[in-house]
Amino acid sequence: MPPMVIPDKCDGCQGEGEPLCEQVCPGDLMMLDRSVNKAVCRNVGDCWDCMSCTKACPRQAIQTRLQYQVAFFPGKLIPLVGTHSVTWTLIDCRGNVERFVMKTLAGDEEEE
Amino acid sequence: MARERVYIDADLLIIGGGTAGCLAAWEARQRGGRDLKIVILEKAFIRNSGCLSAGMNALNMYINQGTPQDYVSYARYDMCGAPIREDIIMSVAELVNETVALLEAEGLPIKKKPDGRYLNRGKWNVEINGSLLKPVTASMAMQAGAEIYNRVFVTELIKIGGKVAGCVGFGVRDGKFYIARGKAVLLAAGGCAGLWRPLGHDDAHHRIWYFPFNAGGAYAMCKRAGAKMVGFDHRLVPVRTKDTYSPTGTLAIGMGAPMINSLGEAFMRERPEYVKLGGHTAPTPIRAWALCQETLNHRGPIMMDTRRGDPERVAGLKGQYLDMSPCLVLYWGCNDINPSMDPVEIDAADPSLVGSHAGLSGAWTIGTSRMTTIERLFVSGDALGAAPSRFISGTWTCGRLAARSILYYIERVDPQLLEIDPDELDRLEVRTFEPLERYQKCTFYTNGKPIEGIIPEEMEWRMQFIMEEYCGGRSRWFHVSESYLSMARKLINRMRHDQLKYLVAKDLHDLQLAWDVINRLDVCQLVIEQINYRKETRYPGYVNRTDYPNVDNENFDCFITSVWDPETDELTFDKEAYEQIVPGDRNEESI
Ligand SMILES: Cc1cc2nc3c(=O)[nH]c(=O)nc-3n(C[C@H](O)[C@H](O)[C@H](O)COP(=O)(O)OP(=O)(O)OC[C@H]3O[C@@H](n4cnc5c(N)ncnc54)[C@H](O)[C@@H]3O)c2cc1C
Ligand code: SF4
Ligand code: SF4
Repeated sequence: MPPMVIPDKCDGCQGEGEPLCEQVCPGDLMMLDRSVNKAVCRNVGDCWDCMSCTKACPRQAIQTRLQYQVAFFPGKLIPLVGTHSVTWTLIDCRGNVERFVMKTLAGDEEEE
Repeated sequence: MARERVYIDADLLIIGGGTAGCLAAWEARQRGGRDLKIVILEKAFIRNSGCLSAGMNALNMYINQGTPQDYVSYARYDMCGAPIREDIIMSVAELVNETVALLEAEGLPIKKKPDGRYLNRGKWNVEINGSLLKPVTASMAMQAGAEIYNRVFVTELIKIGGKVAGCVGFGVRDGKFYIARGKAVLLAAGGCAGLWRPLGHDDAHHRIWYFPFNAGGAYAMCKRAGAKMVGFDHRLVPVRTKDTYSPTGTLAIGMGAPMINSLGEAFMRERPEYVKLGGHTAPTPIRAWALCQETLNHRGPIMMDTRRGDPERVAGLKGQYLDMSPCLVLYWGCNDINPSMDPVEIDAADPSLVGSHAGLSGAWTIGTSRMTTIERLFVSGDALGAAPSRFISGTWTCGRLAARSILYYIERVDPQLLEIDPDELDRLEVRTFEPLERYQKCTFYTNGKPIEGIIPEEMEWRMQFIMEEYCGGRSRWFHVSESYLSMARKLINRMRHDQLKYLVAKDLHDLQLAWDVINRLDVCQLVIEQINYRKETRYPGYVNRTDYPNVDNENFDCFITSVWDPETDELTFDKEAYEQIVPGDRNEESI
């Protein structure tokens, strides 16, 4: 489920020593394309789909896209990370929308 | 060529800040006091590295009922009654519940029943919201004040006079040469994915079950250091959701969904050939074997029938997968699959080598010390062999126990840091950066490919091609025989002896991939030779020897170990006796 970076949303994590997506990737795949100052996955085939980069991006610039060889277009899955939970929005290929709130850390039971 | 160097000295040097490594650091601080210098070298970023990086939804080892002995009996049963290190599993089982409580206190949400007890899944699992499992695990190491070096890729152990003195590696970001010494070294750099060809190609070639960035470094480094290795005659063939290779415990144990064939038969329960082997709770390898048998007999595709599962739990299925394998939820959404109405297709995936899951691969260790046969070198997690079914919670615990044993060793033996010969360091430096140096001397075709070299991914594909065809890959139904293995040996050794000198890396990222190839090829040798040595079929489904299809208790009811000789490149084999600690029938679960 390789990460695709939407250019209008990505600001290259200005101000960070290293872009957040680049910092977290366990496979060292996300990197800054210095010519445009935006992130890119250097080899989508090497991605394990852990979604660490997608969840870490403060601007929700990373869209997860399944490989077309295994799945139809244009489904989407979008995480919105809160302090104690993640809200996932699944928009399937038919346009049906489902939302899931999943707890991530103990405490703050009130959130959402 | 001299590169900038970073010298690091530690009391406890941990290689791999994963599940085992982080908890080892934590325990070492508790037991070793404030002054103990604990260093972790991690090739990625510790908060998001390793098997846990995508999250998980259950801890597969927890004593919900029964005793640690019952857990050992289960682990043994689940490995078809084969020899396992009962002493090690027992030591973990005795401490695992305490470890889980520690992680809960650190913020890990564990699901609860109305009575306040943990929500169990089957006998031995507890359900969690594990999306942040790795950050929570990493915070244990950080609060222990371990000195953490992120983005340092370790390439080799340094051995002096039969003892391990430390390791070397390179900075993935800074390109520096790292030299780390430790009074004791804990190698916890995971298992090995990607020896065989995956089903998905090109942009889906890492759509595999095991974490693809654990590429056999731990096994290869142990082997090259001369440690005794065990369990490469075995490999895990994971039965997972087809195409995404997401875990299926959620379906099978979580909601009791049975496997069905195209006739709609819940074959594990209905067909006598499988019922006699344990039915739907048969050992894990048997279930993989049954799936292959059904497909070979033209009764595929094989599905997990979620329609027959507990409806309440099926409704929460997507949520559970979002905590662990979100891509499956998107896959369902893109392929018009509603798992509460449609069965979920499953498949036997490309094999992986692991030590802490349903696998046996790793270094052989002495007693419950976690020390390998090389003094000062300890292992934990997937790097430790012959002690399966530790999973996440058992691996945390195993890391803690390794730390305890190391501190005891330091206290008792008082090892001092060893002086490393400068010439040896120069040699290791050259070796570490060789593929990068070679690339710099290359000229290039018009398409940018080096004229004088082979890039890591090309070598990886060649290796996977050989292993797939001649060492029983998925497309060969995991079948092997002496004739095929001799082909595999010939071709893999050709790569190891004659082709690696062409391996080139264009940058520091590719230098990691180059080392992944070097390490994987070293692991291939262990796999081919150990499978060849075990002339029987003890784990059908995982390793099917068509030339020796039966169990041979007279010759092989034991562990098979081997030590590599750097002079001859041969493995010396040994058989280690199996010691049954928990009494009872090995082919029965005690509860
Ligand atoms: C997909 C999947 C699903 C699973 N599901 C479950 C489950 O639901 N429940 C359960 O209990 N168990 C589950 N397991 C098993 C569990 O995750 C493992 O048993 C455990 O995480 C292994 O821990 P480890 O410390 O050996 O490896 P890891 O946690 O992977 O740690 C290894 C570390 O070493 C680093 N490293 C590797 N090579 C080098 C190098 N050369 N130099 C420096 N650092 C290096 C890696 O980056 C990583 O951080 C699952 C495993 C997988 C792969
Ligand atoms: S984290 Fe997001 S905003 Fe920052 S560089 Fe990566 S994609 Fe761009
Ligand atoms: S999904 Fe994971 S493996 Fe893939 S690029 Fe993002 S962080 Fe890296």
